[in-house]
Amino acid sequence: MLTFTLRRLSLFIFTMLVLTLLSFSLSFLFPGDTVINHSGQINATAEELTLVSNSYHMDKDIFSQYGAYLSHIINGDLGLSMASQSPISNEIMELLPATIELSLVALLIAMLVGIPLGFIAAINHNKTSDNVILSLAMLGYSIPVFWLGLLAILVFSITLGWLPSAGQISLLFEIEFVTGIQFIDILLSDSPYKWQAFSNASAHIILPACVIALAPATIFIRLSRAAMIEVLAASYIRAARAKGLNFSQIIFRHAIRNALIKIIRHVGLQFANLVTIAMVTEVIFSWPGIGRWLIESVYQRDYTAIQSGLLVLSCFIFIIHILTDFIYAALNPLARGNNHGS
Amino acid sequence: MAREKIYLEEIFPSPFMQLWGIFRKTPVAMVGFVSFIFLILLAIFAPLLAPYSPVDGNLDMILLPPAWHPDGNVSYLLGTDELGRDMLSRLMYGTSLTFGLSFIVVIFSLVIGVLIGSLSALTSGIKSSFLNHFLDVVLSIPSLLLAIIIVAILGPGISNTVWAIAVVFIPQFIHITRYAVKEEFRKDYVLASRLDGASNFRILYYSVFPNIVERLMSQATLAQSAAILDIATLGFLGIGAQIPLPEWGSILANGLERFYIAPWTVYLPGLAILFAVVATNLVGEGIRHALKLRKES
Repeated sequence: MLTFTLRRLSLFIFTMLVLTLLSFSLSFLFPGDTVINHSGQINATAEELTLVSNSYHMDKDIFSQYGAYLSHIINGDLGLSMASQSPISNEIMELLPATIELSLVALLIAMLVGIPLGFIAAINHNKTSDNVILSLAMLGYSIPVFWLGLLAILVFSITLGWLPSAGQISLLFEIEFVTGIQFIDILLSDSPYKWQAFSNASAHIILPACVIALAPATIFIRLSRAAMIEVLAASYIRAARAKGLNFSQIIFRHAIRNALIKIIRHVGLQFANLVTIAMVTEVIFSWPGIGRWLIESVYQRDYTAIQSGLLVLSCFIFIIHILTDFIYAALNPLARGNNHGS
Repeated sequence: MAREKIYLEEIFPSPFMQLWGIFRKTPVAMVGFVSFIFLILLAIFAPLLAPYSPVDGNLDMILLPPAWHPDGNVSYLLGTDELGRDMLSRLMYGTSLTFGLSFIVVIFSLVIGVLIGSLSALTSGIKSSFLNHFLDVVLSIPSLLLAIIIVAILGPGISNTVWAIAVVFIPQFIHITRYAVKEEFRKDYVLASRLDGASNFRILYYSVFPNIVERLMSQATLAQSAAILDIATLGFLGIGAQIPLPEWGSILANGLERFYIAPWTVYLPGLAILFAVVATNLVGEGIRHALKLRKES
């Protein structure tokens, strides 16, 4: 486990270097002055600009420029947003938790719906229910997410009026910002309307989370179906059957556990996909998250925000990736060994 | 009667033809394949087939519902939008933008990815390890996010979107080619031709490529369905195709303001995207299914 940890750690450091290099080079690629793109200070006077470009080592060679950029990032200074002139790190700290909350709820829904359906399909392999589930999965995988979001708003918010169509919580509730994750903040607050706020926030998250969850859920269906078919063909299942275990005992005691391990491995990869979908969904449902903020920065040509947004979002995705790798390795001793660079 | 074949000759179809033989017998995959061909033909011949211009409106015929609606007009089969532009013509021209461009993008990325991938499969050591880690990093960033960043550098517009998506899709082809070529190079038939004195490039061209082409095609269909969705999503967000262009995503975004009075301007482009993606995915599923069956037989 120690070598595994060290290897993942080196991969993590390498990745962070590549990602920062990417966002560093973006400042040169974007239109406009490099220092202004780094710092986002568009209204600065000439003296202030000289100070800023000194702090970014702009008069020295490219390597010390990169070093200066790295030290700025490590100190938590991502520059100012060109649009609002407030520090980007503060904006991200306010927005990222909302995205984390939304994407984790969506991931949970996707797994809770997708994995059992995949198991059912695998148990009825090559029968009607298998084919029905697979066809539905394919349809769900093909629906453009923005269209699905609009249809969901039309049906559930406007025609039926069951669920709210935009935002994170009704503006009537005043929730103090502590962690940024709405549900935790509500539970921490001492408002007398805590539970009303909680149910209101849950009603707000259902629709966007379900829209995001659809495509990953269909992928979980396919993954869990493939994993379950593989497990059911294994010889230890045949041994269990020979010992006289009945069908449900085999499925619940042996097959599901072994199939789940295989699925956990893919959760990290699916998460990147899920975050992309979440970005678009945030725009449609006006969710105050980092995806909507990033797309708005593209409209506003806020280059400092774009490069920091890229850095933060891909870091977040990569951290989840590594976490799932660790969980997989902790659950499955076979995975700790020989996977060089994979 | 003359018999042309005197001897009973055993024919070994090439791997690709074997695959086609299995693929042809799967009805669902064939439906997808026919739809795919239909979309390609539509993308090429849309200017000849479309009844009206996609950008010029007829101001007498504003917001006409589709023909099956009581208020519809049969000369505008799928209705018109808020400027009196015929939806059917717009969707037909949109095929060549959304579907046709995604097809070209995927072919472009495929060629470049296969070139780099097969070259990198032949190298080893620190260079190869670096490339592998680098690809892992790039693949861990969502394709849409990367495309948005590239569009932000280049500026909005359909041509920039296409370049961005082409660049974003290259790494996955490098990755899959690299793995496939490395896997094939370990097999005995490659060793046999190596013993015959074939050079690496000769082995690659004559022995390895015919055996990995289906895997590349299967990846290409996956990439294309993602490309269609990405082009449409960027168009929907307003950073892809710009206003008068009849790109499916931007038609949909355009119809958004009149969603309640003219729902067909939102339903129809969405259905078009769905149809294109489903057709592509069906072809991909068919290929993967046939690959699996061929492996088992």
